Amino acid sequence: MANLDPRTKMIMVVCLSILALLYNTPAQLFLLFVFTLMLLLFFNFRLNVIGVYLKPFLALMLFLFVVQCVFSPSGLSILSVGQVSLVTSGGLLLGSSMVLRIIVVTAAAMLFTTFSPRDFILGLVQWKVPYELAFMVFIALRFLPVFRDELVNVITAVQLRGVDLKKVPWKQKLDLYRRLFFPVVYGVMLKAQHLAVSMESRGFRAYPTRTYLRRLNLYYADYIVMVTFLAATITLIVMGP
Amino acid sequence: MAFLEFNQVSFSYPQEGRFALRDIQLGFSRDGITAITGANGSGKTTLTKLMIGVLRSTRGTVCLEGRSLEEYSLGEIGRRIGYVFQNPDLQFFCSTVAEEISFGFVNQGCRPETVEEKIQYYLDYFELGNYRHVFPLHLSHGEKRRLAIASVLATEPSFLILDEPTTGLDAYRKRLLADLLIKIAGAGTGISLVSHDQAFVNRLAERVITLEKGRVVWDSGEGRKHG
Repeated sequence: MANLDPRTKMIMVVCLSILALLYNTPAQLFLLFVFTLMLLLFFNFRLNVIGVYLKPFLALMLFLFVVQCVFSPSGLSILSVGQVSLVTSGGLLLGSSMVLRIIVVTAAAMLFTTFSPRDFILGLVQWKVPYELAFMVFIALRFLPVFRDELVNVITAVQLRGVDLKKVPWKQKLDLYRRLFFPVVYGVMLKAQHLAVSMESRGFRAYPTRTYLRRLNLYYADYIVMVTFLAATITLIVMGP
Repeated sequence: MAFLEFNQVSFSYPQEGRFALRDIQLGFSRDGITAITGANGSGKTTLTKLMIGVLRSTRGTVCLEGRSLEEYSLGEIGRRIGYVFQNPDLQFFCSTVAEEISFGFVNQGCRPETVEEKIQYYLDYFELGNYRHVFPLHLSHGEKRRLAIASVLATEPSFLILDEPTTGLDAYRKRLLADLLIKIAGAGTGISLVSHDQAFVNRLAERVITLEKGRVVWDSGEGRKHG
């Protein structure tokens, strides 16, 4: 079952993400998280690998948690300064829900890493998605790590010119990042342009039809998993929170 | 004590079974020019990345002025060692050529009245004057290479590492670069360069280190063959 068709895994990710977006209570989201975790373990993910994937989102999660806690006051006041309630029970629940939602969506998206990008395109094309569109989605996904690498390179290059980023005051640091933003984005755009030229020079979109070396096949296990996931998701949505 | 010292350093890239470098024992002083040569994939660039702390050794230690490189931040290393990347695109992050050249010394507290003078000097020397306001990634490969070297030299580091500095340069500009490196080395800056350009190496290098499959197989500084 670990060798399910990429399309089946896509359906699973979509179902889990829809539920994560619709659920609002920490208890529901926690159960969904446990289920997603079990699914990932089933697909041979190690817990530390899941941690590595979630790590880049820690700062965002913490920020959203604090924002929700402070700016969505409701229920009992837990921490207050004078007359102003800083943390309320309602805010805490909303903050926890937000964090759990991000964790579930990110964890579910890890299923995409269990099959090759080539299979991702093939899967979409066999679902009658135009090849150009499928390829664009693939390239967009491919460019996310390129963008991250670009940022890492720039930060390294800045430091190697003698700037100790850890010692630079925050105001100056923000100003530096603001100045670096345009060249980095423009650099990635140039790379995208070069990629487009390279693709077109190798015949991309030159002919109306494409030849595929192999085809993906859906097996009984795929149909069973897809139907189960879709039916369960619809049932859970209809049943309501 | 060597300025930069490798003590039995081995390195393997994550998720790669084999060692890219193995048991490297080398010292680099601030005297003269050292060339690091070897076939593609022999570990030359990996060695230079270990020298500047971008990569951390898997075994052994790399020391800078007697202290482990791990005790330094990248910024502290950057103030001592200038590094010209193999791919110049990776080291540009400013909006114009002039900004790229001045970034290092402006951030290191250069006096404002000398900033313009220094920019002009490097623009003139590397014949980049016509591109002063151009976005660095819009330059040709040879121009990018010259800008990469100029922007690192402008920070006046104590030690300079150049990874394939002659790629994309014509004979005239190679000669200009060689003259400048000789001048800089004469002023007491240590230089290590990775190059496949044998004529360039022969003209400049007082010491040649040859790598093969991640090991040092020849070090003319020691005057003997390894392994």
